Amino acid sequence: MSAILKGKKGDQRLFMGNEAIARGALEAGVNVVAGYPGTPSSEIIESLSRVAKDRDIYVEWSVNEKVAAEVAAAGSLAGLRSMCTMKMNGVHVASDFLLHLALTGTRGGMVIVACDDPNAHSSQNEAEMRHFAQMLEIPLLEPGSFQDAKDLIKWAFELSEELRSIVFIRGTTRLSHASGQVVLDELPETERKAAFRHDGFILDQMTGSVISLPIAFKHPQLQEKLQKAAERYEGCPFNSYTGPENPDVLIITSSACTFYSIEAVHMLDLQNRAGILKLTTTWPLPKRLIKKHLQTAGQILVVEEVLPFMEENLKVLAYEIASEIGIKPILGKRDGTLPSHGEMRPDVVAGALAGITGTSVDQRSEEYEKKVNERVFFGAPARDLTFCPGCPHRASLWSIENVLQMDNRQGFVCGDVGCYTMGLSPSNFGTLKTAHSMGSGTGLASGFGKLDRFGMEQPVLSVCGDSTFFHTGIPALVNAVHHGSNMIMVVLDNSGTAMTGFQPHPGIEKNAMGDVAKSIDIAKVCEAIGAKVRVEDPFEVEATQEALFQLLEEEGAKVLVLKQVCALSPEKKWSKKFEMSVDTELCIGEECGCNRLCTRIFRCPGLVWDQESKTARIDSILCTGCGVCASICPANAIRKTPLAANGKEVA
Amino acid sequence: MQVFGPNELLADVLKKDLCIGCGACTEICPYFKSYKGRTSMLFSCTRQEGRCHAHCPKAEVDLDELSSFMFGKAYEGSPLGSYQSVVISKAGPEMIPGNFQSGGTVSALMTHALMERQIDAAVLTDWKGLIPVPELITEPGDVTRFASSKYVTAPTVSMFNKSKQLGYKRVGIVGTPCQLTAIAKIRTNPLDREDFEDTAGLTVGLFCTWTLDARDLLKYLSARIDVEKIKKLDIPPPPAEVLTVTTVDDEIELPLSEIRPMIPRACSVCPDMTAEWADVSVGGLEGSPGWNTLIIRTQKGAELISKAEASGFLVTDKMPKESFEHLSMAAGNKKARAFRQAMEDGCLNNKDDGHAALRVSPTILKEMNIESGEDNVGDT
Repeated sequence: MSAILKGKKGDQRLFMGNEAIARGALEAGVNVVAGYPGTPSSEIIESLSRVAKDRDIYVEWSVNEKVAAEVAAAGSLAGLRSMCTMKMNGVHVASDFLLHLALTGTRGGMVIVACDDPNAHSSQNEAEMRHFAQMLEIPLLEPGSFQDAKDLIKWAFELSEELRSIVFIRGTTRLSHASGQVVLDELPETERKAAFRHDGFILDQMTGSVISLPIAFKHPQLQEKLQKAAERYEGCPFNSYTGPENPDVLIITSSACTFYSIEAVHMLDLQNRAGILKLTTTWPLPKRLIKKHLQTAGQILVVEEVLPFMEENLKVLAYEIASEIGIKPILGKRDGTLPSHGEMRPDVVAGALAGITGTSVDQRSEEYEKKVNERVFFGAPARDLTFCPGCPHRASLWSIENVLQMDNRQGFVCGDVGCYTMGLSPSNFGTLKTAHSMGSGTGLASGFGKLDRFGMEQPVLSVCGDSTFFHTGIPALVNAVHHGSNMIMVVLDNSGTAMTGFQPHPGIEKNAMGDVAKSIDIAKVCEAIGAKVRVEDPFEVEATQEALFQLLEEEGAKVLVLKQVCALSPEKKWSKKFEMSVDTELCIGEECGCNRLCTRIFRCPGLVWDQESKTARIDSILCTGCGVCASICPANAIRKTPLAANGKEVA
Repeated sequence: MQVFGPNELLADVLKKDLCIGCGACTEICPYFKSYKGRTSMLFSCTRQEGRCHAHCPKAEVDLDELSSFMFGKAYEGSPLGSYQSVVISKAGPEMIPGNFQSGGTVSALMTHALMERQIDAAVLTDWKGLIPVPELITEPGDVTRFASSKYVTAPTVSMFNKSKQLGYKRVGIVGTPCQLTAIAKIRTNPLDREDFEDTAGLTVGLFCTWTLDARDLLKYLSARIDVEKIKKLDIPPPPAEVLTVTTVDDEIELPLSEIRPMIPRACSVCPDMTAEWADVSVGGLEGSPGWNTLIIRTQKGAELISKAEASGFLVTDKMPKESFEHLSMAAGNKKARAFRQAMEDGCLNNKDDGHAALRVSPTILKEMNIESGEDNVGDT
């Protein structure tokens, strides 16, 4: 049985934040769940997809976040409880639809869980989603503990059904990925039946046609809902205050910053002087609750990630009530007390708090700092961000880099989001020269490919993963083909949404719940769009390069599908196609003619430079037996022996 | 000769547009590759010394050292280089007929050398859609397929490098002066490798005033004619000032004023018109389309010529005095222009101020009146 189903009411269990959210959705009786994978949000649907059959819910990995929001909205409009998950970038993708959905309103409860990634641990920006709540004029909740992460979901569904509005829940990396104790509640039996009513009066949200017009009616209606949300937030059980009655410093915080604030107060031993208001209802702010706490405090420190979102709204509120409570100093990011970029940390909060209270944090001794730095910076082996052993991307980028360099016209590759983004790093040949949002490499290439009339003679390529192809790659290719842009889109098809954990996508014959699904052939889609298409196996280095050279000769938009399953995929892991070995007699090592091409440039972690023998060798534990290094060795010193499926040498 | 590594080659030659795409640095390592007439460095290499640099005809070419290797004496700076004799020649009655540029001397010599097993393979240059493609052949009957001048930069030396890997011990090569400069450098075993073998069995040089960038020419001609139909390119002697393109169904003339901008910068610092580092060098003969000028330089070359004559593969005759003087003047002019240009470009006899493309004795420069920059050498 899946972890999130185990246990009865009252049991305490250790859950990762995302599991707690998933459990919370089940306890809330969710019916429909849709999302697109993206760190740190992916485990919510991962967890729910595994229990979909048991709990009789519908779970899907949608093609992108906008469609996920639409699929979830359909559940809501049919009277079911639906949830939609995504990382923060996804909110931007979905926002066009959400802007309308906010105005039309929902029927069954609909909760959107979007997870931010402060410090961009697994992202290419640390933009946050909270401002969307403000822009869309919908209520936002930020759980500040693992228990809250679970329990808040049910509360959010109830709020959504009371307001008939979408409710946003914001997670952050630390809350989503850290684990904590959670007390379970019951898993209800849901009896909801789906039906979409459209026969009622057009302005009746529950029975009429669903449209955001007339604005003169729908917009004020939306704002009334927000007012109502603020009212409900006044008594929200997930807001809490800990500390003295009249604190010198009132910390107002939310989400994972709650933990850091508690830690900071303890670090400085300020329990008697500092109080913490854990605010879960961060938009719209509950005015009376805020007023009550501001009144009691000397000064206020707002601790949040990343931008001063709560701080600014608090300041607006404080201005509005200044005549009643006086002017309270509110410190935070705007005055530089705390940084407005990167992740918050207990020591950063403690530093700010120490400055305000005139206390000091126990500094580590200089000697200790020195030792740590030595160990960390000089003691640890240098490790680049690199592709896994046997990664098809290394082989693909190797071929692209070779071809572009040989072609010698300063050709370049536009990338986007995926493991292959690491192709920007010099240790992965530096083949990629741009990286933006999903599918954007192909859109950029479509644009670059039209600049020949202005004298641009450089070959233009894009790389795009298979999941990204379906997500946002297709419109970019359509654009390129339609406008006769001179470019090559290279689809790096590793058969799954690999970077986030092999979630299925429309190209896979299986859906999130494990059922057989119709798979969509990428090459056929591209052909139907009108591109010239070649399909190659990137492990066949020579054929791949030949195909690229040929496509470089052709006019218009071309597609090269490089198809090879990810080395970490469950189906491929532990199965070696070749046993690799190095003939040390033939290996010329550092000599002129090679100079460690395999270990210095190709850099598969499965290849090791042996300092003593001055030759390369294979790390048989790491090597996945893809055989690519044998194709690149200039001395033919790397040998591959075919292995049968059982790992034995082929006779 | 001073030998540096790939980074110096990149900085001094490739990045300064001095690469002529001869292919001398390719097919010996994975870092330098030739594609469509151009050489590129694919990945960084950290070696301090490399064959890539040692082989390059545009990096640290010490003319004294080459001369002493080839002819056992210092470089004299004479217009035609060292030679035993200069004659005119054409293919003899025993030679298979072909689509020769002039007299068919080169084809006849290579055919004969392969037939007589003086060489076990020959490196010749073909083209595919105007892009030069060096090939290695072993059958004498295949030689005529490669007849006719290509006028474009070609990685011919790459195939010589490859022939070594394939195990050929006596390889004949037909090449332009820059390509044969590279071959001569290769033959000196510049890195003093113990396992070195000189596999150049016969070197036949082609006269060259300048060449054209293969890609530029392809682009230029593609816009005007179906390049697949091109049979022959020719630049008739002055005052014609045209490039003649013979296609399957036509012959068209293109003004040299449009062609000259495609001359690689590397040609401007080339002091060698008559392929001085070859066993024999061959060019056209002004006013006699059916004949070649033949410069016999080495003993090996002289022996080959007499054998080829004896077996009816080659016919030779006395070089007319006027033609000899014209040739000398043109070759001398190119030499002086090149030294002057190299000096202007700061790549001649460098000391502490960087690496030289060329090194030549200051005495010779003085004799050629180059130091002062007041030489009276005119343009041909």
